[in-house]
Amino acid sequence: MAQTRLMRELERQGISRREFLTFCASMAAVLGMPKSASATIARAIETEERPILVWLEFQDCAGNTESFLRAGHPTVADLILDTISLNYHETLMAAAGTQAEDALESTVAKHKGKYIALVEGSIPADADSGYCMVGGRSALDIAREVCGNAAATVAVGTCATFGGLPAARPNPTRALSVADAVPGVKNLIHLSACPANAENITALIVYYLTVKRWPPLDQYRRPLFAYGTLIHDACERRAHFDSGQFVEEWGDEAHRHGYCLYRMGCKGPATSQNCPIVQWNSHTNWPIGCGHPCLGCAEPNFWDVMTPFYERLPNVAGVSASRWLDPVGLTASGAVAAAAVIHGIGEVRRYRRGHHRPPEDKGHADENKHESDSNEESRK
Amino acid sequence: MNAVPSDAPLGIGRERVYVWELPVRLVHWLLFFSILILAATGYYIGNPFFSGTLVMARIREVHLYTSIVFSLCVLVRVYWGFAGNRYARWSEFIPVTRERLRSLWKSTLFYTFLSREPVEYPGHNGLAGLTYAVIYGVYFVMIATGLALYQVYAPVGSPLHVFRFLIPFFGGLQIARLIHHIGMWVILIFMVAHLYFVILYSTIERTGIFDSILSGFKFMPRKPPVKP
Ligand code: SF4
Ligand code: SF4
Repeated sequence: MAQTRLMRELERQGISRREFLTFCASMAAVLGMPKSASATIARAIETEERPILVWLEFQDCAGNTESFLRAGHPTVADLILDTISLNYHETLMAAAGTQAEDALESTVAKHKGKYIALVEGSIPADADSGYCMVGGRSALDIAREVCGNAAATVAVGTCATFGGLPAARPNPTRALSVADAVPGVKNLIHLSACPANAENITALIVYYLTVKRWPPLDQYRRPLFAYGTLIHDACERRAHFDSGQFVEEWGDEAHRHGYCLYRMGCKGPATSQNCPIVQWNSHTNWPIGCGHPCLGCAEPNFWDVMTPFYERLPNVAGVSASRWLDPVGLTASGAVAAAAVIHGIGEVRRYRRGHHRPPEDKGHADENKHESDSNEESRK
Repeated sequence: MNAVPSDAPLGIGRERVYVWELPVRLVHWLLFFSILILAATGYYIGNPFFSGTLVMARIREVHLYTSIVFSLCVLVRVYWGFAGNRYARWSEFIPVTRERLRSLWKSTLFYTFLSREPVEYPGHNGLAGLTYAVIYGVYFVMIATGLALYQVYAPVGSPLHVFRFLIPFFGGLQIARLIHHIGMWVILIFMVAHLYFVILYSTIERTGIFDSILSGFKFMPRKPPVKP
């Protein structure tokens, strides 16, 4: 086999073949493929031509770029992803200004329908609003042109997937997700989370290289290998949950013992992602593992529906439902019971005074009515 | 004409009317007990205030199995709204006929002290019927939010995964959770009010309304034929 550019590059960086194969095996694991698949992956990565990637940043914090780079810990994945065919990435590329914009333009023109667009950040709905202009062009314009001509588009992170933080109420820039900003975009795939996990970005691209299409998706167009499990179902603290052992206060005895964070507002029961399994920062740890509740960052509108982050239930009209719903419900039940007693006293007294007669008993009722009227008169 | 004052003792000058058929009574009591269990277990799930080996797991299990009983009851009762006797029909709950609208108006006036004539009718009066229609609406919301919350836990291959469309429908699992929690209080408040009205009616009408939900029979004043 002729030495590919990738292998030469690996050699130059002093990365052994063994390390490369370990990487392929770990990708197979993330993708939920059998171990035997790692050989197929290795072959695909070695021999296939790299897909051309274009990375667009709009209303974002570059957190997904950071995640993607795994800045502190360069690995084989970095090489595969960023030394090879990332034709445009504002934050990473050496070129700037017109040169950079030319690179984008020429990629779109030359590789029309063949490159993959990765989008980070949300897109303001109004092209003339003046929000988020790059090189004098609106984000909407750029997204429509670049994603519209791509073979496939990956929305990386929650902002590109669901609008994210910029789209949270009151959404001053009228921020949209890629799906909403570029209607009918081809082969769109979502990698929500804030930020998207580098393992998942890498695994997705490796899958694409190996299988030549996107993996199976969930109802939000997220790959099932990464979003098919509920955090809560794979959480290492689940045993504490099942036995009703909860952290009640930051730093209490239960917190120090790694009890479940449910009562501290953990959104693991409402969030699907593979954080407990794949973890973060090269398997160092993950949020719940270090004692912080899940914020639900991978779910639609998480900034609006998962807040308050440290309470069980969302607020109602700005009031904490976790704190007030049960007292209000109990008081309302009591109030209804009290009202019933008062209503009942009224009804029974009225009935005892003989006001109450079967409706069909006309004569009797009239007579009765008379009687009661005179009663009332005599009382006056 | 054999007019009977409404406070005449049971049996004298009254006729036995078969009002609540067996499915109606069965559903009523199964709903009653399942709601108590669901509310107690649901309260714990939302606000787990004690611990013990696998308590949360067991309580969730009880909640889930009870919810199956509850949902089946609601479905059977809706079916019976088309198959049952006249007092069980859907039209007794959703007022579309003129009589039912009149009954609604009259019963509302009675309860608000604006009229002195209670609606004497073996089935539900207009206001009661409409209240039950609304509460069944709440039951459906509870079932739907419950299914949305459950389907993320459903095992692989479970048919309940078809309900995943309910998550975006409610605007996310957290919103479904909030609605589910509010619904519990709405139903409990309804139960308090329902109990009160039964006591009230059994005091002023003496039609045997309390026993009727066990036996199915009410004792209505004889003649002239009652109209809704
Ligand atoms: S910490 Fe969160 S995700 Fe983990 S078991 Fe508790 S509630 Fe579930
Ligand atoms: S644990 Fe929750 S909030 Fe944290 S990264 Fe994972 S999904 Fe997002």
